[in-house]
Amino acid sequence: MAKAELRKPKPKSNPLKAADVKVIDYKDVALLRKFISDRGKIRARRVTGVSVQEQRKIAQAIKNAREVALLPYSGAGRG
Amino acid sequence: MRAYELMVLIDPEVDERTVEPTLGKFLDVVRNDGGTIDNVDVWGRRRLAYDIKKKNEAIYVVVNFTATPATSAELDRQLSLNETILRTKIIRPEDQKVSAE
Repeated sequence: MAKAELRKPKPKSNPLKAADVKVIDYKDVALLRKFISDRGKIRARRVTGVSVQEQRKIAQAIKNAREVALLPYSGAGRG
Repeated sequence: MRAYELMVLIDPEVDERTVEPTLGKFLDVVRNDGGTIDNVDVWGRRRLAYDIKKKNEAIYVVVNFTATPATSAELDRQLSLNETILRTKIIRPEDQKVSAE
């Protein structure tokens, strides 16, 4: 018998559902900032709680935003 | 024909009022090839997240247009030849949609 050590993962709230986002726009810096750490790294899906498909779009949008200098490649230019 | 979105970063030393006419000349490439310019949005000066060509700010312009793939490639090529243009990026807006459940 499996013991109660198997802890149930807490269902995460999907931040995109909450904000009702239909399009992940690379120009929407305010939205994308929620998905990067203070060092500028993309947060993992287990942290963000979005679906695989959404995470892929978010990652691509962040990379596009980095290319046009809307977001940093690394935190404050020192990290 | 496809819908594209172009983002251009222009040298901050360029006068902001001359941006639209200058860019218009480049956009003639699209018009001459039977495409359409749907929207031009000049954001104005904005700080860059990191330096590009030793500049820490740039004039951002976003252009929505419809054209053939070859035309958009040609537009990107011509823009990148210009010294006052720090960076260009062309994306297809439909790739950004979150797929329906």
